[in-house]
Amino acid sequence: MLTKDESPLTKGYQPVVWNFKLLAHDMLGGFGGMGEGMSVQIAPDGRRIIWLAHESAPKNFTAVDVSDPRKPKVVCQTDLPHANMRSNSLETCGNLMAVAYQTSKKDLKPAGFELFDISKPENPKSIALFDCSGPHSRGVHQLWFCDGEFVHCASGSRDFVPTNPNDDQFYRCVDVRNPSKPVEIGRWWMPGTRQGDNIMPPPRHPIDKGYRAHNTNVYPQRGDRCYLAYIDGGMFVLDISDKANPKKISHWTNSPPYTGFMHTVVPLFDRGLMLVTDESTENNCKDWPKLIWVLDARDETNLVPIATCPMPDHRIYAQAGRFGAHNIHENVPLPTAWKSDQIVLGTFFNGGLRAYDISNPYQPKEVGIFMPPAPPGAPTGTIQMNDVFVDERGIVYTVDRHVGGLYILEMDF
Amino acid sequence: MLDLFPSREAGPFGRRLKRERGARIPVTVVTGFLGAGKTTLIRRFLVSPEGQGTAVIVNEYGTVGIDDALLRGSADQTVLLGNGCVCCITRSDLQLALRQLLIDREHGVVPRFARVVIETSGLADPAPILQTFSTDRALGGEFHIDVLLAVVDAVNGESSLDGAAEARKQVILADRVVISKTDLAAGGDVERLSRRLHKLNPRASVDGAVGGALDVEHFIVPAGTERGGFIAEAEHSDGISSFVLEWQQPLEWLVFARAMETLLALRGADLLRVKGFLDVTGCQGPVVVQYVQHLAHPPVELQIWLDQKRSSRVVFITRGILEAQVRDLFVAVANLGAKPANGP
Repeated sequence: MLTKDESPLTKGYQPVVWNFKLLAHDMLGGFGGMGEGMSVQIAPDGRRIIWLAHESAPKNFTAVDVSDPRKPKVVCQTDLPHANMRSNSLETCGNLMAVAYQTSKKDLKPAGFELFDISKPENPKSIALFDCSGPHSRGVHQLWFCDGEFVHCASGSRDFVPTNPNDDQFYRCVDVRNPSKPVEIGRWWMPGTRQGDNIMPPPRHPIDKGYRAHNTNVYPQRGDRCYLAYIDGGMFVLDISDKANPKKISHWTNSPPYTGFMHTVVPLFDRGLMLVTDESTENNCKDWPKLIWVLDARDETNLVPIATCPMPDHRIYAQAGRFGAHNIHENVPLPTAWKSDQIVLGTFFNGGLRAYDISNPYQPKEVGIFMPPAPPGAPTGTIQMNDVFVDERGIVYTVDRHVGGLYILEMDF
Repeated sequence: MLDLFPSREAGPFGRRLKRERGARIPVTVVTGFLGAGKTTLIRRFLVSPEGQGTAVIVNEYGTVGIDDALLRGSADQTVLLGNGCVCCITRSDLQLALRQLLIDREHGVVPRFARVVIETSGLADPAPILQTFSTDRALGGEFHIDVLLAVVDAVNGESSLDGAAEARKQVILADRVVISKTDLAAGGDVERLSRRLHKLNPRASVDGAVGGALDVEHFIVPAGTERGGFIAEAEHSDGISSFVLEWQQPLEWLVFARAMETLLALRGADLLRVKGFLDVTGCQGPVVVQYVQHLAHPPVELQIWLDQKRSSRVVFITRGILEAQVRDLFVAVANLGAKPANGP
């Protein structure tokens, strides 16, 4: 029998492929550090284009023709105006794309989001820039845009002075029905995080990542709800039936004792369930465990955690880079996205991409792993799988955070 | 679970799977009489690209050292499982070995393996091994037998089949049969043996191997997925026979389940292996059913009908049970009007 020291898993992340088939891998021209924006467009000429946000400068976004998933082809790759910003998030809806701009410091520009006409994928044309810059703002970290009408985003604002500098981004709803003139129509922030609030600011976490918005998901099944992850503040269900005046319906947090950074909330409407993810943001498991949680959400006012997706022994992964939950496939309400309330696919940085069967939500079961070898030049010496998207054909796209670019897979379970 | 958390995506048998094994670990069971050449075949498979990441469980000690794979000994031992029926006597050491593999894998003590090959002892009856994987209570939740392979020695195979009921049963229950050492036997002998094996098990392909060389697909391509492979009635030795029941119209699950429950209750010990695809009323894809003596595998609904031809076919390998008796039982249950109340 192999001893622990002889195990390939402890030697430096040998590839593990379990119930996935790798169809293609594209390093994206040497700019393979990818963020958490992935969206599939069927272009007017019939090509299937996946648009990818980059983790950091110099690149803005990359478009890849994945009509044949075995032969991806980069058709467009754009540059950011400067190095002190990033476009971490994007979404497409038809031939319209929204790209989030976040600056590294307050009061830099451009900070906000930009709308593009992508009817010709090789030549995206800017339609408008929605400015969110300000003395206390870094702009937009993440956005949600699926209906062609409203951009829901985690954003700062010129007129928003946070009680703590880390709490600069909150929920904003922007009307883009006239895409050349986006207009904010509503906002919500966690009480106590804005100067002038009549309650005390929330206590800081030992690893302080801010009480600020992250994912801002809205689905047509409940168009009057926003499922809002709020990093160190946990998550909120908002009533947005009056978009100008969002109201809190419920709140759930796992921290403390966990270490904050709640990232994504995905409701599974038919089942009365909710998936909530944390994000690992520290290397070497300093913030372990970061998990995918399953909540009983049959009563949206009383969310009950009932399970987490099982993780491998973290000591095996604690040697380099991040390890833990991050993005999951979000059942984006577009025809080009796969929808499932039985399977959860999530990225776990050096834990790769993992799939879970949640048919029994009390006992999620791991059914697939894709943990490729460290791509050439990986600064942590490991894969750092960052985001995942599944198209309506069931083709899985997943990206590395640093250098590995795009991996295209088939589910085999 | 569907009562509390319903899903339109799931069918009455749960999540629809792409293939029968779903996400479970595929298992290849290699049977064969003493000296048939099982170890040589396995060794050749392990050095092939497809054999990488295979864990091996050997039913006998000291058989062979295998590089790049796990080698576990699991000596013969029989124990009585919970319900006390003699059909449930199975190898607890095999269960323990497989469970330990899972535990070690989760702890990172052993690498992630993608397949398990079990080499049985020469005298082993395959039925208890099949039972080991039949239910969640056993190992059916984690492992799935993709292939049951029987190895028959071209030189001594005839005499083994003549002299040992175990050897015959190994062939009768197999998904695939391999004749080994064909280079050491006269051509006529191999042909005669091949005909006999076909007669014993018309469902299984019979292929030759020289020096352990065998198409690796025999080890890894799941058996029983080709519905054309189900051959109609065949008479075997030892009172064993096989036959196929077919239904062109969709089946009510309750009719099928009740008929099988009756059959299992009355003659479970004589149902050596039952496997098939059902076109069940209300289901989107084929429902795969499998029984080994009185143990039933949980039914699995697949996502699609691969051949677009919806019909039900079930092969029965039985001892002392006639096709007409089983057919009459299904007709009788259907005539009683058993209707599904709320699915299975």
